[in-house]
Formats: sequence, structure tokens, C-alpha cells
Amino acid sequence: MMKEGVIITKISIKRQGERKHFQIKLPKDTKFIIGIEYGGRLISKSDAIKFAAAPKAAPTEELPKTEVIESVTVAVTIEERSKTFFKRNQLIGELKLQSSEESNWFYSTDVFGADANLKYGDFSNAGFNVNDYTHGNKRTEEIVKVDAESTIIQGWYLDALGKSQKVDINYEVTIYVWINVEE
Amino acid sequence: MLKATKKRFDIKITQANSTVSDTFELDKNIVKVHGVLVTSDKDDLLYYRGTQKIEINKEEFFPENYESKLLMSGINVAPKQRYYDLGGVAPGNGRVQITYKDLDDGRTVFAAYRVSLYLDCEMEDEL
Repeated sequence: MMKEGVIITKISIKRQGERKHFQIKLPKDTKFIIGIEYGGRLISKSDAIKFAAAPKAAPTEELPKTEVIESVTVAVTIEERSKTFFKRNQLIGELKLQSSEESNWFYSTDVFGADANLKYGDFSNAGFNVNDYTHGNKRTEEIVKVDAESTIIQGWYLDALGKSQKVDINYEVTIYVWINVEE
Repeated sequence: MLKATKKRFDIKITQANSTVSDTFELDKNIVKVHGVLVTSDKDDLLYYRGTQKIEINKEEFFPENYESKLLMSGINVAPKQRYYDLGGVAPGNGRVQITYKDLDDGRTVFAAYRVSLYLDCEMEDEL
């Protein structure tokens, strides 16, 4: 009989642009890798705001303030708003996993922080703040199907958060490898 | 006749970076556990700081360090879909153990909070 299990691996990132190679050891009776999930935790407090807030896609140039007829000014304002409604999600890093039995990565993803646009589309204005922990979707693993007879996964992670902020940010990325185990 | 029922068990986290473990017993007439869900009275603390291990009948379903955020569902999720699907687990001796670990996260400030474990169960009607 097949049974599901999960192997949890933590990667600690301390420097901007840090690149980590790691291995995930699977139990000997593992038959397949069936899913991948990730999570994370911010360790250094000093950069808390930078980690939590995603940058706004604000226009880079100031709009001309004078000598514009009224109708044109209104049109420009609407365009500016449409740009700022959507916020870019904060990219935390890149994660890639490779099985020892097959060539190429079997899993590759951009690791993102909170969904910065969760609030978009909420018209209630009821004073109930929209956050990942109140309005977030149910998380499920990304399904993969890879043989796991060699019981080792090679992993690679590249920091993007510290690099984009140009500061060393100490955080932890947790990787969940869901497996099928023969009982 | 079988009927669906939800069970709730609470633990209190009163100290930062502490581990709290508790064992609860399910009713004898519960025949299956279909799903699991965690919530809190301060859900931001649970979301950012929490990890837990969950065992049912001494069988580990979520190992140590499994983040609580992966077992949470926001109000955007339809009520009938909020539970993490376990696929109908036989409760055996009916003992459910949760070992909850609170860990500092740079985005939160600790305050005492409650963690609630919800189980979506199927029970035999006593009547």
C-alpha cells in the first residue's frame, strides 16, 4: 500500500544575492515525489517592512502640472491610477530542484512573498483589512511525478530579496517535498 | 447512519518561541476524519509564526516544522472547501496530538494567542 508523507527542508539565507546548493534526503522506501510546496520566515527584524510590502508600480516621471487643458488632465490621471492599482509581488528568490535519476530540473519556481494584489477586487470597504491570513486561498502543493529511487534531490536557491533591496536580509525558506512511500 | 460533524480543540500560546503540546480525544462514534484546519484569534501570529506537528492515532500526518499557514484558509475560500483533505482517516484510538511551535518572525510582535484545531469528521448517529 502506498502512503503519503512530507519531507521538510529549511534553507537559511543571510546575504544579498546568496546562492545555495543543498540536498534533500528522502527515506529509502520512497517511490515517487508527488508534490512540492514552499514557505518561509523572516528572521532579521530590521528589514521587516521591506520584506512585507511589495513595491508599487508607480510612474517614474512627474506629470506636467500646468498648461494643460482640463479634459487632457483628467485622462492622464486615470492612466496613472490604473498603473498604481496593481502592485508587483515581492520576489524572494528562485528555487530549482533536480532528481538524481533524470537530467534537468524537475521543479523550478520563483518564490514570492505575500500576494500584493489580494485587496484588488474587494469592493466591500467594510473596514476589514484584506491580508493573506484573512483572505488568502487554501494552499496546496504543486503536483509533480518523479521517480525517487536514488533518494536524493539536488536543490538550488538564489536570493532575490536581499539583492533587490541591496541589503543583507536574514530569512529562511522551507521546502516541502511530498512523497509516496511504500508500506 | 453516518453524519458529518466538526470538532474543535484549542491550545493557548502564552510565551514567544515556546512549544505547546496537547492531546485530545475524539468521540468513540467517530469513524473517519476527513479534513483538518487551523485558525487562531490572532491569525497573523499563527500565519507568520506557527508550525505544528499533528498526529492522529499515533500516526504522523504533518511532521514537525510544518507551517501553519499551509493549513489555514481565508474567508475567500468557500466554507465547504476550507479543510485540508486527509482522505478519510480511521481515527483508531481517537487520540489527536498537536505539537505547536511558535517562532519569532520579523513581521510580527508576540502577544498571547489561541490556536484552534478543527477536524472535519464523520460519525455514527447515536440514535
